[in-house]
Amino acid sequence: MTTRNAVVESVPADVLHKAITDLGVSHILIVPDTHQKSLLASLNNETSLPMLTFSTEDEAICVNAGLWIGGGEPLLIIQNVGLFAAMNALRGVAMDMNVPTCMLVGQYGRDVTQPVEDAHQGSAIRLIEPVLATMDVPFYRIDRPEDVPNLRTAFDQSRRERRPTVVLVGAPTS
Amino acid sequence: MRRSEALELLAEHKGDGVSVATMRAIPDWYDLGGAPDLNLDNRGCMGAASALGLGIALAQPERKVYVIDGDGSLLMQLGSLASIAGSGAANFYHFVVVNGVYETSGFQPTPASDRLDFAAMALGAGYEAAYEIEDLGVLRERLPAILNERGPVMIALKVELETSRKEVPQDRPTDPAGYLRARLVGD
Repeated sequence: MTTRNAVVESVPADVLHKAITDLGVSHILIVPDTHQKSLLASLNNETSLPMLTFSTEDEAICVNAGLWIGGGEPLLIIQNVGLFAAMNALRGVAMDMNVPTCMLVGQYGRDVTQPVEDAHQGSAIRLIEPVLATMDVPFYRIDRPEDVPNLRTAFDQSRRERRPTVVLVGAPTS
Repeated sequence: MRRSEALELLAEHKGDGVSVATMRAIPDWYDLGGAPDLNLDNRGCMGAASALGLGIALAQPERKVYVIDGDGSLLMQLGSLASIAGSGAANFYHFVVVNGVYETSGFQPTPASDRLDFAAMALGAGYEAAYEIEDLGVLRERLPAILNERGPVMIALKVELETSRKEVPQDRPTDPAGYLRARLVGD
């Protein structure tokens, strides 16, 4: 699905699904995200990959840490407003405990015809990148299908450097 | 029952289980030998202990996980009760030290401290079992059997309010997550 005049393009769920499977993750941790609902539906059919749903994003970040400590290699799928809600867990657990924490974050509410910094975008869209930069969290964008390899880049960086990384999904998955 | 007395009993049963201790329980847990081996301290994110423990429990299903939580801490991520229950983690034992106050910040009362029933909340969320114990003798008698039950199990420990303050030990692991992962999986 591509909206006329869009500056970002939708990525098919099966493309992202395959990219996630190729990462070799042990668990998918989610707080439901409207923006990536087709991806979540696709992953829900993946019987070989446990998908766990949490009440809040800070809880998911903490479970990610516990899984990693116990030998797992999880991936989080959340949305932008949830990442704002989870800043203390991001800081106090993922950052301060040096836990690999890779998050696929839907840019819920984004006007896909405008860049993220446009004044008409909602605050969650305009502020997420500056906030991540302030928190010193590396972030990448998936604004079109050819950006999907950024997920691998972010996941590998989170493991190599033992830190949180974020991949922002610009348009709703299709 | 004092917190240290209750934790001393738990330390005796820890064996090769993993513990996650939080906030003001940490000094006692070190003094009693529950840490630092096979232990994770949670000081940086109040409320996170149970979710950290759940992750470890899911990744290490053959090993018992003991979370030593506080009432104020648990209230900060109460939704974790549902996640823990929903996970069906049979190796998860959730100790909640209930003293009715936010001890770290100066003993301010927790909300509804005169009526909160953590064991009832755990059962309502779907834990396999939950107990509220306020007598040391009862805890001593029942703990071995409780720790052989299928989890998730909550044990709400109603303890005396204590105003003396122990310091958090300085010789804790400098990289607690990396240290514990290395102990558990040999990275």
